Amino acid sequence: MGLLTDPGAGHGRLTQLLVTYHNKLIILLYIGGVLWFMILAHKHFNAGTYFSENALLPGLVKGEFDEDAIAKVYQSELLDEAAKYPNGVPYSWLIAKFRQLNLDTYTHNFTLTYPLGLGNKFTGKNVYAILRAPRSSSTEALVLSVPYRPPSSVNPGTAPSIAIMLAVAKFFRRQKYWAKDVIFLVTEHEQLGVQAWLEAYHKVTCGRSGVLDHGDMMGRGGAIQAAINLELHAEKIGHIDVKIEGLNGQLPNLDLVNLVHRMCSKEGVKHTFKNRESGNYRDWYREWLHSFKTLMAMVATQASGVPNGNHGLFHRFGIEAVTLEGFEKKGKGSPALYFQVGRVLEGLFRSLNNLLERFHQSYFFYLLPAADRFISIGMYMPPLGLICAGLVIKAFALWLKMQEDSTKKQPAENEDTEEDKSKLSNQDSTNNFSLVPVGVTVLAAHSVSIVMLSSPQKLNALGLKFGLSTPLALYAGYFIMTLLMSILPLFACRHIGRTVESRSIFNIVALLELATILLCTSMQNFSLALLSAVVYVPSGLLMVPTQNRILTILQKILWVFLHPLWLLIIVVLFHTTLTFPDESVLVLSEMGMRAVLKALVFAVVDSYIYANWLFPVATAILLPNWILFWIVLHNSPYQEKKEEKNED
Amino acid sequence: MDNLMCLGYAVAGYIRYWLLNSDYKQTIGDRVEISSPLNSWRKVTEGAYLYSEGINPYLGENFHETPLGLFVFHKMISNIPQLTGFIFIVCDLITAHVLYHTAQLFMSELFSRQMREKEKYAKDAETLLLKQSDLVLPPVYVASAYLFNPYIIFSCISQTTTVFANLCLAFTFLLMIKGKRLACCSVLALATLQSLYPVILLVPASIYIAKAESRRSLRCSSFILTAVTFITALHLLLYISLKLAGGWEFLHATHGFILNVPDLQPNVGLFWYFFTEMFENFRLLFICAFQINATVLYLIPLTLRFHGEPMLLATSLTALTAIFKSYPTLGDVGFYLALLPMWKHLFKYMQQGFVVGCSFLSTSVMGPVVWHLWIYSRSANANFYFGVTLAFATAQIFLVTDILFAYIKREFSLFHGLHREVNGKTTKLVLE
Repeated sequence: MGLLTDPGAGHGRLTQLLVTYHNKLIILLYIGGVLWFMILAHKHFNAGTYFSENALLPGLVKGEFDEDAIAKVYQSELLDEAAKYPNGVPYSWLIAKFRQLNLDTYTHNFTLTYPLGLGNKFTGKNVYAILRAPRSSSTEALVLSVPYRPPSSVNPGTAPSIAIMLAVAKFFRRQKYWAKDVIFLVTEHEQLGVQAWLEAYHKVTCGRSGVLDHGDMMGRGGAIQAAINLELHAEKIGHIDVKIEGLNGQLPNLDLVNLVHRMCSKEGVKHTFKNRESGNYRDWYREWLHSFKTLMAMVATQASGVPNGNHGLFHRFGIEAVTLEGFEKKGKGSPALYFQVGRVLEGLFRSLNNLLERFHQSYFFYLLPAADRFISIGMYMPPLGLICAGLVIKAFALWLKMQEDSTKKQPAENEDTEEDKSKLSNQDSTNNFSLVPVGVTVLAAHSVSIVMLSSPQKLNALGLKFGLSTPLALYAGYFIMTLLMSILPLFACRHIGRTVESRSIFNIVALLELATILLCTSMQNFSLALLSAVVYVPSGLLMVPTQNRILTILQKILWVFLHPLWLLIIVVLFHTTLTFPDESVLVLSEMGMRAVLKALVFAVVDSYIYANWLFPVATAILLPNWILFWIVLHNSPYQEKKEEKNED
Repeated sequence: MDNLMCLGYAVAGYIRYWLLNSDYKQTIGDRVEISSPLNSWRKVTEGAYLYSEGINPYLGENFHETPLGLFVFHKMISNIPQLTGFIFIVCDLITAHVLYHTAQLFMSELFSRQMREKEKYAKDAETLLLKQSDLVLPPVYVASAYLFNPYIIFSCISQTTTVFANLCLAFTFLLMIKGKRLACCSVLALATLQSLYPVILLVPASIYIAKAESRRSLRCSSFILTAVTFITALHLLLYISLKLAGGWEFLHATHGFILNVPDLQPNVGLFWYFFTEMFENFRLLFICAFQINATVLYLIPLTLRFHGEPMLLATSLTALTAIFKSYPTLGDVGFYLALLPMWKHLFKYMQQGFVVGCSFLSTSVMGPVVWHLWIYSRSANANFYFGVTLAFATAQIFLVTDILFAYIKREFSLFHGLHREVNGKTTKLVLE
């Protein structure tokens, strides 16, 4: 029990070293952590993917799909039909086609009451057909889903995917080996349709009640084991991109991702991750850079917490799902046709059909630097741990320093006269009470953020009265609240600032809270935690009250820019610049402003409809921590010391 | 100070009232960290319903309250259902006040003992002595640590029966320090009947009561008398229970349930994980090992070392059972945490304060996160959650060890002086 030694004889040499060199150590840890993470992209530091689940038996049988001719017919029929409904879905055609295949066909209605703005209502309708498993009693199911996009949609169309889905359904219908129901699902309104369908299927409401009315469902299959979402944009496919990032950064089981890649390569379909082919470089640096860019692309998508395809909404229900997005073949070379894509789908579903249990092997926590390489949780956690360790070490050093100061004070106490003693004991009692204002301030900071979390709808209603649009109302409301919040230190400091101990304790609380937030976020959404840690850890560590005026102002400016609201604006502007690099500055700034205005509303609405955590986490967890550091910054101990000297 | 305390009680009562009537009640009440099969209100209502329908609730596997509790809760639910929440809040406030009194008595006892033993102390140990001003705050801290501890608040608003267990324990502590043999033994018997583990508090209680005895020769008989009183009280309670329940099945459903651990729903303890993994034929062996660990293993060595400080002994035993018992909840943890400020003068000797604080913070937040990943997202698994609970238990063990060692260090310094030099070198105390 070396840890439990005696403090009476002074701290051990190790702790002394820690107190003296903690700043250098923290810098070293931070740089070490960042470098470690960067180096993970290199193939020497990550592992090749492999199958853990033996029951999948991927690609053991020869593909038999041969309905590619009918797929072409379906496609031309659908395009003719779709032209008649420029804004809607050709339900009758879809239902008729499914019924012709003798599948249980149903429709499903849902209603969205838009939580902001004027509270408009939107309706939608999904079509789905269930192929009942001949070999079991509908206890398990697989889903093949396609989002329907009318011709007026801004996104590239998905008519070819519906065509291939129907062709595949026709083929599947004839097979005898199905042990799980196969559900063919065509959804309207992109992610909204899938969300409503899933909620209705499981009879739950994920978001705020009264926002998305998921409606009722007439027919169901068994418990859904896996889902494939198909988005083919053309008949002739150049490559298929596998999308995995789901809501709140949740990922599908790695076995499913591997399965998709394996099936694609078996059928000779070019497959990519993040639209980046695995590069083949001789130079290790360029190879690393290529993987690192892929890795960071994944980190960026995952961190946003917004699913990048309809698959992302399945994850919450314990359903493993991926999106296969097929891009049109351009240039030379042989494309993948319906024949190959159909065989890929056949292989996927036959493998999934083999599953004996839910996906439970392999990894749920991973990062992919390439389609066939992965970094597991055990590999990527240590770098984040190193980065966050800086916060804990700093807090510990402050703690030790605080204790040292108090032990130094005590010997001085003994030499004083009796009168001084009584004075000091009075001070002692105030010292003891200093915990209360610290606690109250921390509580106040958190309650302010709870108010902010629950205010969007009220702000919206208030904005409507003054004739402001929803985004403007939200921004104005939050801006005013932020200003009010920045004044909080004036009240808080008067109470906290009384003793050195309480100041230190306050700083320690802020540091530890940040560390806890980051580590807990990392369990749910590693990428978000990593990016926040890279930004907030060094800045949080810098937020120490100093004597230097210029430095103080610089600190304050830096911290203001790290306010979640500002950070959102910066990130969105940055993203706009990256997405449209060719536009002029003027156009860019206009587009950026529009994006910024939309971003906050999207975040709020997403949290209401899909229970996306980004907005609640930013307002209810990150924001109070921001306030704590802001108060720490205003708690300059030196001002009071000066005052004391003047009094003397 | 009194005004401040009243304000504290009012605020704490209001927080509980507000949470009890908010939407969070259900969410918090369903948490496995707060409600175990043994103390959840849901099971109580179920049992009370069966009882009112004339079905013996102990014949099923669902109800684990004592017949005494069943009777009281049944009356409560059928007669004053709108006041149940209110009763829980009031009980919690009473517990806090009882602890406040206990701490006050303990502080004066501490001071009087210091005055008594002052001559024996080393000369340079004066700085270690308690001043009159040091005795004012700890009781306030004890009460506020109970009133504002989130563990306790959550436990109260989930309406777990831990609230009543804590009330019994608090009264045991108060009556123990007052040296009231009959009352103390009766309350202790009640606590034992409800949750079995408090039985080991009989040892510190009998030491306390024996200490009040002036003549040394009578001390031995005092021990025996206390034990006999306790056993009589327990038997009386068992007899009442028997009459209320109409059969002995309740023993299997309550104490049998605590000892055999048939329900392996995850909780903050260490039992569930081991016993889900266990081969069935080794179950008995390991149950014995685990239960001995939770009760008598630490009882003897700690009694031998800390018999001079029965309050510390009682607190550390309560803490150890809260860590190692078969169905621990955060309400138990919160109870012994509230007692710790009584030894505020030891805090500066404690070494692990920071580590323990960090662990408590991170595990308390991490637990629900990992639980969500395991149960709802299905991406994590039981090992993640057990890892967190293991870390939580380790932090608690560190805390208990630390406070005990701090006591020993202070005692050593008091009698041997602050300057410890062996062969001209400064030495330090090391726990090995």
